[in-house]
Amino acid sequence: MLKYLIVLLDDNAVSYCHYSSKTEREVSISPDVLKKTIFWAMRENLSVQFVYSDVDVSDEIASLIDTIDHTDIGPSDADIIVVDDWNDVSTMNFVKGRSYVLRSGFKDLLTNGEFLKFILSLVDRLNIVIKDVENFSDSDIEEYKSFLDSLIPTIVGEYRCGHQVQLNLLTDRLMLTEMNNCNAGYESITLAPNGEFYICPAFYFNNQKSVGDIDRGLEIKNSQLYKLDHAPICRICDAFQCKRCVWLNKKMCREVNTPSHQQCVMAHVERCASKKLLDEFRKIDSTFMSEIDIPELKYLDPFDNIIKQNNK
Amino acid sequence: MENIKNLREPWEGGVAKNITFIVTKDCQLACKYCYLVGKNDKERMSWEIAKQAIDYILSCETDFKEKSVIWDFIGGEPFIEIDLIDKICDYLKLEMYRLRHHWFDSYRFSFSTNGINYDSPKVQNFIKKNHQHLSIGITIDGTQRKHDLNRIWKGELPERGSYKDVVRNIPLWLSQFPGGATKVTISTDDIPYIKESVLHLFSLGIKEVNINVVFEDVWNPDDDKRFEEQLIELADAIIDGDFYSEYACSFFAKFIGKPMNSTTDNQNWCGAGKMIAVDAAGNFYPCTRFAAYSLRDKKPIIIGNVYDGIEKNLLRPFLTLDRTTQSPHKCIECEVASGCAWCQGENYDAADTDTIYQRSTAICKMHKARVRANNYYWNKLYRKLEQENSSESC
Amino acid sequence: MKKEVGRVTEQERDEIKNLFERRNGLNELAKILTTDNQELYERLVKDLGETSSKFQDWWNRMGEKYQWESLLNGNWEIDFNDCTIYLVTEA
Repeated sequence: MLKYLIVLLDDNAVSYCHYSSKTEREVSISPDVLKKTIFWAMRENLSVQFVYSDVDVSDEIASLIDTIDHTDIGPSDADIIVVDDWNDVSTMNFVKGRSYVLRSGFKDLLTNGEFLKFILSLVDRLNIVIKDVENFSDSDIEEYKSFLDSLIPTIVGEYRCGHQVQLNLLTDRLMLTEMNNCNAGYESITLAPNGEFYICPAFYFNNQKSVGDIDRGLEIKNSQLYKLDHAPICRICDAFQCKRCVWLNKKMCREVNTPSHQQCVMAHVERCASKKLLDEFRKIDSTFMSEIDIPELKYLDPFDNIIKQNNK
Repeated sequence: MENIKNLREPWEGGVAKNITFIVTKDCQLACKYCYLVGKNDKERMSWEIAKQAIDYILSCETDFKEKSVIWDFIGGEPFIEIDLIDKICDYLKLEMYRLRHHWFDSYRFSFSTNGINYDSPKVQNFIKKNHQHLSIGITIDGTQRKHDLNRIWKGELPERGSYKDVVRNIPLWLSQFPGGATKVTISTDDIPYIKESVLHLFSLGIKEVNINVVFEDVWNPDDDKRFEEQLIELADAIIDGDFYSEYACSFFAKFIGKPMNSTTDNQNWCGAGKMIAVDAAGNFYPCTRFAAYSLRDKKPIIIGNVYDGIEKNLLRPFLTLDRTTQSPHKCIECEVASGCAWCQGENYDAADTDTIYQRSTAICKMHKARVRANNYYWNKLYRKLEQENSSESC
Repeated sequence: MKKEVGRVTEQERDEIKNLFERRNGLNELAKILTTDNQELYERLVKDLGETSSKFQDWWNRMGEKYQWESLLNGNWEIDFNDCTIYLVTEA
């Protein structure tokens, strides 16, 4: 069921996920489209997230935005602040009570572990998004494991000090008993500055077909394929924290319901590290998240399991 | 009850790796129902591409763990390129042996041909040289009027059927491959000729007729009724003429027309992705049906090439595809689902989006008609055999 | 003439089937491999000899084990589909 509407306010709206938002277009949402969009969101009972660029919106747009309860996502001064570059991190004034999205290349992430530990002491929630999932290879697995393991003492230390910091890669799985994925195309939809709907911002910025417009309404063909029960690999998986990014699926496997080997392996490395973190918390408090179970697995890619079953 | 000829099981239980060389996109014929919309005489595979493909595939032994392999040659008409095929097969034998590849001990060379140059010296020499490892099917559609309705020579006006050019090679083919089976395709115009065609093929000595309706959405409103009538007549002819003990027609099979369990009967019908096809440009496809010349409306699905290899992520959707995930609700709930086939390439071509996960149901009513005729066939045949048995025991 | 004289187990069938396939492969390779490729040629000759003797050894062992009916002018054949052994004689 649709719950969220993401509105890109202009063509430079910041990317807060795996895609790049670089485009040659320069369209900003018109007041007319925005008005219709807000009206539609109210009628559909959707939570609205506005995505900003680093250019201020006009007063007219700003006052329209104020007519609906919403969340702001932007490069600064927003409910969710997106940091796209490690150079910007050093000048960023992190404050508690806000959520941050840190977009990083995989190798850059590994080399900035110490910096990351520092950031974790400053924020309440940090979402790390890896920009180049497609470049991850099996030879990176051990390094990624070590990197995540190295963050565990920091998170536990913060917890001991009463600061329950959340890091999506490690703490989300501790709070989940079922899949909690991005669900673009099923629970969320994106409205672009041109007044057309897209599965998510990545589909817009990568020139994919729209799925309706604000005048005609939504028309998602094969909409069932965005649901978990139509994803043969994901529906048997318990890496509940995985984004299950339908854009990466489409980009790397050609199908929105099929995750790449890289996405599965990374999610399982995170899952394994989450289990270690859970074990550490339970050393402090044996009843910690008692309803959560993260069993040991013998694989990092559930695809291998499916193939094994099929071959039987 | 044992005195019924069944269709042969596929070689090695159907689990051999199938690797298809699209050696040419040219054919002497221009069959009206041919799904290959982009046939041409330009795209002929070069030896360099073929060799590169073989070198790549044989170098990835750990990725291809299947015990056996079928090296399949397809066109257009594959035997147009018999010189290339001969060179490929010699190289395959030598390389599989030189590399001590496990496929050397379990391989076949497979061909589906229009049969026109079957008796040419080059094709015959090739057959002699590789006879123990060959599987060759000649496509003949039935009686002359049925065959010539669709299988006509390319670029000839007035239209000229190819029946006589093919049928003359059937005795030679059956003498070399006594169990030879043929493949017949039925489209809307062919329906009135089904019975006579199957019986005609039996009379030529072909003991196994594999026959199916086209998967494309070509069917007219009353086609299912006409189809069922033909199949009932065919059932009567096979049973009354006692053909069932020596001949088999794939339209009649015991397993079809039953409901299917969503958990235990959830396999994909089609082998796309488990097989690989390579074309003249050196591109790999999950099956030949995903190459550009097979597709009407969609872009080809290329999963790699002979230089860079196969991008395994692109195979994941194919290898995890199951029946229920791609089927609409009506198919999952269908009371007569078993035996209802689909072609992944046609599903993709006909889908509303660029997906292989949307099953085309264009043959729905044709399948149901087949099921009714199939039920009739087995009820009638079993009754006849029961009565014969009881009169014998009296 | 063909007469059913016994059966073997599926495991035994697989053993002879593998040898049969290998022997066929070697025989058809022999048609194209020349002495120019000396190393491979010598390997082929050796493999052909070994496979033929393993092949004969299987029939000897099975004949001994199952004591199938035999005739001087006949030979045994196996149906790989159902593991049946036939005694085949010229009519």
